[in-house]
Amino acid sequence: MATTIDIIIPDLGDFEDVEVIEVLVKAGDTVAREDGLITLETDKAAMDVPSPENGAIEVLTATVGDKVNSGDIIGKLTIEVGDTVVIAPAIQYEPTGDTTVLATPATADGKAPKTGGVQTLVVPDLGDFDDVEVIEVLIANGDEISEEDPLVTLETDKAAMDVPAIVAGRIESVLVKVGDKVSKGSSLAIIEAVARAELPDVATDATIIQAPDATVVLAPMIPEVVADTPAPAKRQASQSPSPELPPINEAGFSRAHASPSVRKLARELGVDLAQLNGSGAKDRILHDDVKAFVKAILTGQAAGPVGGGLPKTPSIDYSKFGEIESQPLTHIQKISGPRLQASWINLPHVTQHDLADITDLEARRQELKGPAKKRGIPLTPLAFIVKGVVAALREFPQVNSSLSDDGGSLVLKKYIHIGFAADTDQGLMVPVIRDADQKDVYELATELAELSAAAREGKLKTPQLQGASFTISSLGGIGGTAFTPIVNAPEVAILGVSRSSMQPVWNGSEFAPRLMLPLSLSYDHRVVDGAAAVRFTTFLGQKLSDVEDLLRAAP
Amino acid sequence: MADHQAQLVVIGAGPGGYTAAFRAADLGMDVVMVERWDTLGGVCLNVGCIPSKALLHAAKVVDDAAAMADHGIAFGKPRIDARKLRDWKNEVVSKLTGGLTQLAKQRKVRVLHGIAKFVSADNLQLDNGETIAFEKCIIAAGSESIMLPGLPEDPRIIDSTGALELDPLPKRMLVVGGGIIGLEMACVYSALGTDVSVVELLDSLMPGTDKDLLRPFLKIVKPRYEAIMTSTKVTGMRPTVPGIEVTFEGKNAPEIGVYDRVLVAVGRRANGDQLDADKAGVEVSDSGVISVDKQMRTNVPHIFAIGDLVPGPMLAHKATHEAKVAAEVAAGEKSHFDARTIPSVAYTDPEIAWVGLTETEAKEQGVDYDRTRIPWAASGRALSLGRAEGFTKLLWDKKTERVLGGAIVGPNAGDLIAEIGLAIEMGADATDIGQTVHPHPTLSETVAFAAEAYEGTLTDLYMPKKR
Repeated sequence: MATTIDIIIPDLGDFEDVEVIEVLVKAGDTVAREDGLITLETDKAAMDVPSPENGAIEVLTATVGDKVNSGDIIGKLTIEVGDTVVIAPAIQYEPTGDTTVLATPATADGKAPKTGGVQTLVVPDLGDFDDVEVIEVLIANGDEISEEDPLVTLETDKAAMDVPAIVAGRIESVLVKVGDKVSKGSSLAIIEAVARAELPDVATDATIIQAPDATVVLAPMIPEVVADTPAPAKRQASQSPSPELPPINEAGFSRAHASPSVRKLARELGVDLAQLNGSGAKDRILHDDVKAFVKAILTGQAAGPVGGGLPKTPSIDYSKFGEIESQPLTHIQKISGPRLQASWINLPHVTQHDLADITDLEARRQELKGPAKKRGIPLTPLAFIVKGVVAALREFPQVNSSLSDDGGSLVLKKYIHIGFAADTDQGLMVPVIRDADQKDVYELATELAELSAAAREGKLKTPQLQGASFTISSLGGIGGTAFTPIVNAPEVAILGVSRSSMQPVWNGSEFAPRLMLPLSLSYDHRVVDGAAAVRFTTFLGQKLSDVEDLLRAAP
Repeated sequence: MADHQAQLVVIGAGPGGYTAAFRAADLGMDVVMVERWDTLGGVCLNVGCIPSKALLHAAKVVDDAAAMADHGIAFGKPRIDARKLRDWKNEVVSKLTGGLTQLAKQRKVRVLHGIAKFVSADNLQLDNGETIAFEKCIIAAGSESIMLPGLPEDPRIIDSTGALELDPLPKRMLVVGGGIIGLEMACVYSALGTDVSVVELLDSLMPGTDKDLLRPFLKIVKPRYEAIMTSTKVTGMRPTVPGIEVTFEGKNAPEIGVYDRVLVAVGRRANGDQLDADKAGVEVSDSGVISVDKQMRTNVPHIFAIGDLVPGPMLAHKATHEAKVAAEVAAGEKSHFDARTIPSVAYTDPEIAWVGLTETEAKEQGVDYDRTRIPWAASGRALSLGRAEGFTKLLWDKKTERVLGGAIVGPNAGDLIAEIGLAIEMGADATDIGQTVHPHPTLSETVAFAAEAYEGTLTDLYMPKKR
């Protein structure tokens, strides 16, 4: 449906009698919304008056040299109703009956005056969103609506929102349909508004001018209405960041050789410039240095906070699928969990699997077990394994080390303290056998038994849980053929032991039944390379096959 | 329900306040700015930097004209219409403050006039009873001149605000306080024909400034002023019909003097304790100062403070930078106030400006530094201005050769110091500055000369080679 609307000079602020210095269109021209129609010039600036709509110029009365004011009508535009994106100038324009009344400009609070007459309901300020999709139209022609009734539902990629009516009245015509894209100021509907009696008639002082079209009276624009609708971008802007600042060595930061823009970037990312070496001329810290530092932290190549950028596992309401029960983690689980996770994230883990021939060892152990038991010593296979590991750690000292905090050097430990994973009711605990290299198999067996008992009874003291330089996790008593233990960081390796089994082994001329023990050495690949790891397990395998050597007393 | 609601309320519309309000509005916040006075702009625009600089310009024209008499151009004694001069100064001020009103309007910053006090951590009340509910607040309520205690009430005893009124021009004036504000006003009144005396309690003018900077200044002003009395205490003032009778105690001072006007310029006090900030939980020191972190947050995280009422020098250019940080953080950005240095300028004649480390501080802190000083007698431009008394001084880090600080005395020192500020922020060393081509003939060349002197490549002066 074609209709005609007035072309009106928008709010010119404090300026009056502004000169028209150029006319950009003529009658018959087709114009798009926001195309310039005429150019005005004040003593401050020149500005174009944009077309309020897509349409065709029917009449344009303004000529160069004319003086115009806010609200002046300078022509008529023929538009297609339905093709409706309207930019609202800051003028209220209210036709009533045969005359068009120009209301006083927008009230101080930006709300439209609540008067009667035909008005256009437009989209309020949507913040940063443009071209928002209409997903539902909640009104129809002829509907009687109240103030605040929803007109349409819009959906951005962030949220869906209803646009409420700012006035009560009867919907004359709905100007949008589902799927339309709208922006701030787009027309939604034309309403015959019901005047609110208690409000003074704001139009009384206004100029009365001839109505452009007596039959179809359109009030094309009401600016920035619906003050109560949230403006999403603004709300976002007000959200506080965490007040806690990243720990920064301010004295060092203030001396760092970095320009203000690099410092700004560092502040945004929480980077302590005191920790950086600049790559620029004269060791100047550059933008790229800051970015590389952050990248190194995120990829674990440098010390720093970890985990913040990791994607989260999905949060699921399990009760939807059946009955559930919530059981709190034990104290030990709460402590060990983050440490395991930190190791898993920070250390590049590799696991080397191997088999050790313990046929002779096991035969000899069976012989010695009875007499040992009489002395109160449970001579377990683990005691022999610890003994073998001690020998292997002596041979491969880098496996008995830790990486320095800055990742730049190895801390080689001259002591050998062996941690061993003990399964308890409370969770996983790792008691430590101190100076394992100075103990014989019987002493090791005794200590293993004592520490395991203490762990089960929850009687371990803190020193008994500290200082390990290497850890063994033996699941052989339970089963399994291999697994990938997590390194007890900052140690650099852990030996996993599974259940031994009799296997046919080719001895060069025939298959012989041999008792084979699965070994799984997980290691920090930054410190131990693959060849060293397999040499370690091979060496350990040889040690475990030489039981007499293991039984030799400690030095 | 409060009368006004805002995402952000800014208390005070001085350089800090309006900068914060405008920046926040530009970042999409809904902002209310509260100002106690009728015009925006605060002390700086209304009764500080701007009007004083207008008058200082007038003073400079008078002095420059007089100086040319020796070189063949004599204008005769100037006829000074104090009222017209005042009107012109007021015109400058109103142009700027009116511009601010316009800028606020364009940004849809709502301006309320009144004295705001906190009711709670998210509510303010104005003295007209209106209430404002806010999500965040930036306190930018500035500072006030300190009046000496126990002074008699007399219109002839004025502060810096009164001094800008020039009403009427006194014959004989005493400036109490030898700081920057007092000396700037002394400069104006002296040029306009008043006999000026300055009295300072401490042993030098502009306390804390490197002593060498004062020498060229004193060389110019000493012959012009009636007296400069350092280490002197004002012990009393008594209004009499002929003038204010002032008694002194100090070796360089008379026992008594009678002045038509006494300007008290002994410092400024932070206004942090005039806002009932405790009702919002904000901690304020006994001296009215509010402590903040590098994001300008007070101890209450959604309330910020900037400008004269936070620690540091009371300078508009510090306030504006802090303002942007506070506004950006309030809007959710991760800004920090990270400036390494804030320049100081005395707009006296000659101007004195310094930035970064001063020699006084370097000695106190035991910094191992080198110094190069270029007398302006070596600058063709300074000589052609008839002003060879000044100099440019730079301090260097011996190890890195980076510039640590700088000071300039002479006309336009305040403009020239900006380059050294940039050099410090960028971590420039002597080579960086010396290799930058400076235009000839300008006073700015003296900065490059000082760098070349450190490098041993300066040819415009004969200086023993440094290395």
